[in-house]
Amino acid sequence: MKILVADDSRVMRQIVIRTLRQAGFDNHDIVEAEDGAAAQTSVAAEKPDLVLSDWNMPNMSGIELLHALRSSGNSVPFAFVTSECSDEMKAKAEAGGALFLISKPFTAETFRERLNDILG
Amino acid sequence: MTNDVAMNVDVDLDIIAEQVWSAFLNSGEDEAIFAADDKGSHADLAASVAMVGAYEGHLVVSCSHKASRDVASVLFAMEADEVSQDDIGDALGELANVLGGNVKSVLPSPSQLSLPRVSATEHERWPGTVEVCRTVVSWRGEPFVVSLLSGGHAVHKTQEVPA
Repeated sequence: MKILVADDSRVMRQIVIRTLRQAGFDNHDIVEAEDGAAAQTSVAAEKPDLVLSDWNMPNMSGIELLHALRSSGNSVPFAFVTSECSDEMKAKAEAGGALFLISKPFTAETFRERLNDILG
Repeated sequence: MTNDVAMNVDVDLDIIAEQVWSAFLNSGEDEAIFAADDKGSHADLAASVAMVGAYEGHLVVSCSHKASRDVASVLFAMEADEVSQDDIGDALGELANVLGGNVKSVLPSPSQLSLPRVSATEHERWPGTVEVCRTVVSWRGEPFVVSLLSGGHAVHKTQEVPA
């Protein structure tokens, strides 16, 4: 499978990718995007099987990215990896068509629990 | 909207800091002391995120150059002498972002979190704010002061890299 990791922080993209490996999901192709706009372009070009996106990014936020994808008819499985995890954001994410939110800080165990049904 | 600077908020910075350090900075008990003594240590860099909305203020983490280099080294999984200034800015900014996101989750809502900002402490001021609470994490012998400020005008929009 191909996984798109979208986060404006280089170090957080590396941590997400490292944690995917530590969780045992190491046989997947990874592509990276530095903000929501780049992720939207990458979804069209790379056709990932899963998007793991930060929420708070410049140019286009994660929730704006999700809305843009869904309004264009793209139904790629989409999950947020975000430092903010309020009930309000969970409701917005769910209404927008996201699978779930993984809150930062996370562990490899969290990734295994949340992603095993998709990547396992 | 601006907070009443006397606003009471129930934020356990000790717990939030411990969760972040434990998950991302491999902090076993041998490396980190949480709720450490605040000995008025010198800080060279400050990373912060602003909160705007029902709660207005800033979450600030400040530390020495050496401490910031160590954070970047661990988060990027690189040797300390290989990390660049960009790496340090990114890593320290993300540390503030994760701390701020978790703090925001227990503050009055709705509010927005800014992108992180990193700068030299000698150039950084938060006028019109008061400190609501703070904790100190001693990690690898270096203190990190984590402060929640209330009030002021939160206008962070862009991420800056330390000079």
